[in-house]
Amino acid sequence: MSSLLFPFVKVNLKQISPLSVLRPWRSIFLKSLHPYLKSAELANLRLESTKEGSRYAAHKKKAAQKDSRRNERQPFSRSVFAAGTASRTAEFMRRKSGEDMVDQPVATSKGPSHAEVPDCPLTVTEWASLKQNSLRPHQFEVQMMKRMVAARSSIDIAKSLLTYVAVETGTLNYELLLKYLTLCVHGNYYSEVFDLYEIMKSHFKTLDPGAYSLFIKVFSTTDRWRESFTMLESLSKTMTPSPRNYGDVIAGALQHGDSTTAWALYDRLLEQGLSPNQDTWQALFKSSCSEHSHNERLRDILLFMRDNQLYPGEPLAQCISSWFESLPADNWTGSWTTAGPSGTCQCCGAALESIRLSEEEYGLLKDRVMRDVIMGRDVFTKTTPQELDRFRKFVESVPAFDVVLDGLNVANTFGKGKQSETLLAVATELEKQGLNILVLGRSHMRRHSHSWDRDHMTRVQQVAHCFFTDDISEDDPFLLYAALHSGNHCMFVSRDLMRDHKACLADGTTRCLFFKWQRGHQLVVHGYAPGRRIRFQRIQSYDTILQTDGASWHIPYDPQGQDRCSYEVPTTWLCLRRAGRPTRPTEAS
Amino acid sequence: MRLLKQMFMNVLWSHRFPQATVRAGRRWSCFLSLTAGAGRTFYANAGLRKESSQAHDLAAKKLDLDVWKSVMRSSQPQEDKEEDDDSNDIDDDEEEECSTLESSRELVEMWRLAGKLVPEQISEEDLQALTALSTKSSKKKFLKRLALKEHHKKVDKEKKERKRAQKEAERQRNAEGEEEGADRPLRNTFLMHFWTRSMDALHNWRAAQSMCFGQPLVFDMSYEQNMSKPEMTSAVSQLLESEGWNRRSADPFHLHFCNLKPDGIYHQELLKRYGRDTWDRLLITTTEQHYMDLFPKNQVVYLTADSRNVLRTFDHDKVYIVGAMVDKSIQTGLSLANAKRLQLVTARLPLDNFLHWDMGSKNLTLDQMMRILLTLKEGGNWEQALEFVPKRKHDGFFKAPQLRKQTARTARISERSEANPRTGTGHNNWVSQSRVITVLNTSRIKVSDVKTKRKKNWWDEE
Repeated sequence: MSSLLFPFVKVNLKQISPLSVLRPWRSIFLKSLHPYLKSAELANLRLESTKEGSRYAAHKKKAAQKDSRRNERQPFSRSVFAAGTASRTAEFMRRKSGEDMVDQPVATSKGPSHAEVPDCPLTVTEWASLKQNSLRPHQFEVQMMKRMVAARSSIDIAKSLLTYVAVETGTLNYELLLKYLTLCVHGNYYSEVFDLYEIMKSHFKTLDPGAYSLFIKVFSTTDRWRESFTMLESLSKTMTPSPRNYGDVIAGALQHGDSTTAWALYDRLLEQGLSPNQDTWQALFKSSCSEHSHNERLRDILLFMRDNQLYPGEPLAQCISSWFESLPADNWTGSWTTAGPSGTCQCCGAALESIRLSEEEYGLLKDRVMRDVIMGRDVFTKTTPQELDRFRKFVESVPAFDVVLDGLNVANTFGKGKQSETLLAVATELEKQGLNILVLGRSHMRRHSHSWDRDHMTRVQQVAHCFFTDDISEDDPFLLYAALHSGNHCMFVSRDLMRDHKACLADGTTRCLFFKWQRGHQLVVHGYAPGRRIRFQRIQSYDTILQTDGASWHIPYDPQGQDRCSYEVPTTWLCLRRAGRPTRPTEAS
Repeated sequence: MRLLKQMFMNVLWSHRFPQATVRAGRRWSCFLSLTAGAGRTFYANAGLRKESSQAHDLAAKKLDLDVWKSVMRSSQPQEDKEEDDDSNDIDDDEEEECSTLESSRELVEMWRLAGKLVPEQISEEDLQALTALSTKSSKKKFLKRLALKEHHKKVDKEKKERKRAQKEAERQRNAEGEEEGADRPLRNTFLMHFWTRSMDALHNWRAAQSMCFGQPLVFDMSYEQNMSKPEMTSAVSQLLESEGWNRRSADPFHLHFCNLKPDGIYHQELLKRYGRDTWDRLLITTTEQHYMDLFPKNQVVYLTADSRNVLRTFDHDKVYIVGAMVDKSIQTGLSLANAKRLQLVTARLPLDNFLHWDMGSKNLTLDQMMRILLTLKEGGNWEQALEFVPKRKHDGFFKAPQLRKQTARTARISERSEANPRTGTGHNNWVSQSRVITVLNTSRIKVSDVKTKRKKNWWDEE
C-alpha cells in the first residue's frame, strides 16, 4: 500500500468515524473504506470491482493517476449525498443502455395544420388569407400568438395580428391581449406594456393572476414601480401572491431606494409562510452593499438559510460575498473553496461543524423515528404490536451494534450469484473486523429457496445477530431504529436513500436532523468482489450547512450549471473571514 | 435612422450577394412607401386594398400597427358605463363577507377569459370551496375538475337529446308508413311483451333470494377518513355501479355494507346519489356493525392488493371482504393493516400469474372487483374474470398461465393442490357436501398463518 495518498488516508479515516479513536482495534475495519476511490461513478465502480488481485498494483497506479487528474476538479470521493452524483449516475446509465438518442428532442411533425409564424408584419388581407388557409381557423389568432411567444418573434408581427383582429371584430379578447403581454414582457417593450395596461384596465374590471404577475414584473423595474404595490394588493385579494411576485416588488422597491418598504414586504412574505426566492435575497444583499442599515436583518437571512437547510446558488453567494466585503468596520474577504477530507476549510483551515449529533438530538431523533416512522398513525401499517414488542425486547437484550446491515438491500446490491451468498460474504467480512453486527431482513430469507440458501443463512446467523420481520412488515424502519438505538458509533449499510421514511417525520427540523444523521452514518457499499475487501463510500465528517463562528462564515453553495437532487448537498463552499488572520492560497488544491 | 442604416447595409449586402437582392429590394420598397405614404389614413375596406399594390399594402400596414390600440380605446367608454352600472348594483351590506366570494367569482371569470379550463356555471357551494383553497395550483385543479365534469354532463345531455330526436323521427316515419302502406307486417305476436319493470322485478327477486341464501360479499366502509372529497365521490359512484352489476347478475352476492356509520359521509353521499326511497328499498344489507360480528373469523378473507397470498380459486363458502376505498394517491398497506389487526386471512388476485402486467397499480376499482368476483362465482375461470382488469394496465394474458409462477415455492404448492384437490378442501369444515366444490386452496393461506405463528418465537428458540 505504497500509494501516494496513503498518509492522507490516515488522517482521513480518523475523521470519518470517531469510532477509530474510541476503539483503536477497529481500525482494520476502517481500512476497508478505500479512500483512493475518488469517484462514485458507476463506470469506475464496475471496473474496479471486476479487477483481479494480480492486476491490483497497476490498477492502483491508474487510480492514482485518475486522482491527480480529478483533484483539480473534485478533490474528494463522491458519496451518494454529494451534489451531482445522481445526475452523473443517471447519465452513465443512460449511456450504458444506449439510449443516447432518446433525449434528443424529437422533431414534432405537426404537419401543415399549423400555419408558420410569418417573419415580417402582414397586412389585414394577408392575415385573412392565412387564416382561411389554415386547417383550424377556430382560435387561429390565439394559437398564432402562442406560437409567436414560443418563437419570440418580433413585436411588430404581433401588432399586425392584433390590428387584423381589431379591424375584423372591432375588439380584442382577453386571452389574445394576455398572450401579447407575455410577448412584450419577454421582449422588454416597456412602453408597450404601459399602453396595454391602460387598455386592459379600462376594459376589464380585474385581471387574472397571470396578467398581474407580468405587470408587476415590468412595473417594478420602471419609474411606475409604486403601482406594483397596488397590483400586489389586488392580487392578494384572490389568492396568496407567489414568492416571485413579492420578490419582484421588493426588487423594484430596492432598485428605487425604498428599502423600508422592501423590508416590510419581506416580513409579510415570511409571515405568510412562503419561502423567499434566491433572487429576492440577492436583491436585498446587493442593495445593502452600499447602504448598511439592515445588516442585522441580512444576518437573519443567513440564519434562516441555516435553519431550513437551504443553500444559496452561485449568484447569490457572490452577492453575499460582496456584501461582506463591503462591510466598513471589519475587513472581510471571501474566497471560493472546498472542504478538506478532515472537515477543515481548504482556504482558512478552520474546522467545520461536525456531523455528529448531540445527545439530546440523538434521543429526539430516536423517539421520533419510533413514533412517526415505525408506529405512524396506525402501527399495523408497517408492523404489528407483537412484532414491535419482539423487536424492542430484542434490541434491549443484545449489546449495542457497531453496524446494522439492511439484509435484502445488501444481498441485492450485486446481481451475480445467490443473494444469500452476497449477504454472507459481507457479514463475514465485517465480522472478521471484530464488529458487532445486526442483519435485518424478512422471514422469507430463512426459508430455503434457490436464492436463499439455508446453509448460508445459518452461517449469517452465526456471525451476526439477526432480526427477521414478518414478510408483510417493513424492515427499513427497524433498521433505522436499531442503528439509532445503538448510539453514535453505529453505522448502517444500505443503498436505500430512506426518503419515504424521512417523509414520515412530522416536521422539517426533525427531517433535517434525520438527514444529518443519515449522512453521517449511512455506509454505501462501493465495490465488492468475492474474496476481496468490501469497500464503502466515504462518509463526511463535517456537516454541510451554513455556519459561523463569529470570526468567519462558511457557506456551502450550488455552483452554476449543476443540478442537485433534494437528497444531495453541495460540495463547494464560500469562506468568509475577517482580514488580519493568516491567509493561505485561496485556490482549492 | 435605423432603417436608413439597414437599407444601406442591405444595398451593400446585395452587391456582395446578388441572390439576396430580392429580399433587400422588398425592404427598400417598404422604406419608400413609408416615406411616401406618411400620414395616410387606414382603409378598412379590404376590397380596395386587394387591388392596391404590394408597396401600398406595406405602407398601410406599417402605419396602422397601432390601430388596435385606437380601436380598443374608442370602444372603452361604453364598457366603462357598464362597469359603473355593475358596481352600482352591488349592495353595501354584507360587503365584507361577499367580497371574498365575489373576488373568487371574478377570478373564475378572468381565468375563463384567459383561456383556462374553468366551468361556465359555478354553484355557491363550489365557489365557497374554491375560496377555501389556499394555493393557485389547487384552485386551478379544482376548477379544471369542475369544468371537465360540466363538459361530460353537457356531452351526455347532447347525446341523449340526439337519441331522443332520432327516436322521435323514427316514430314519425313509422307512423307515416303505417298510414301510407298496409304492406308492413302487423306488430302482433303471441309472445307477451317483456317490460323493463318485469326485468327489474326479476332482478330484485334474485337479489332478495341472495339475501336469504346467497354468498355474502362485504364492502368495508371504514375508510371514510382516508379519502378526500373527490375520492369519496368516485368511491360512491363505484359502489353504485357494483351494486348494479351485482343486481343484474344471474346469481348475485348478498351485499353487505359494513361499518357504515349512520350520517357519516359515506351514508350521506349514498343517500344523495340513490335518493331516500331507492336507498330504503335497496336489496342489500347495510349495517353499522363490524363484519367480524356478522361472520365467523375463519370464513372471512380480506381481498387486498398488498397481500402476499395469491387467491388461486374462488371459494363459494368464504366471505370475501373488499375495502370500499378509492386512493388516488396510493396508500399502501391501509387495508392490509386492518386485516393484520384482526388477524384475518388476506388474499390478492393472481394478476401476475395470468397477465403480462404493463404499468399501473394493481389495485382495481370496486366495480371491476365486483365483476371479477361475479364471473368467478358464476363458474368462470380466471381468464374470463380478469377480462375486467383495464386493458391499459396489461399486455394480454400469458399463453399458458399455469406454467408461469412467481417463485418455485408457489408453483410447487399450486401443483400439489391441483393434483390433489382434496388436500385443499381437507382444511375446510365449511364445505357443504351437496355442492359441487370449486377447488379450494386455503392450504397456502393456512400454511402461511401457521408460519407467522411460529415466527413469533424464533428468537426464543435460539
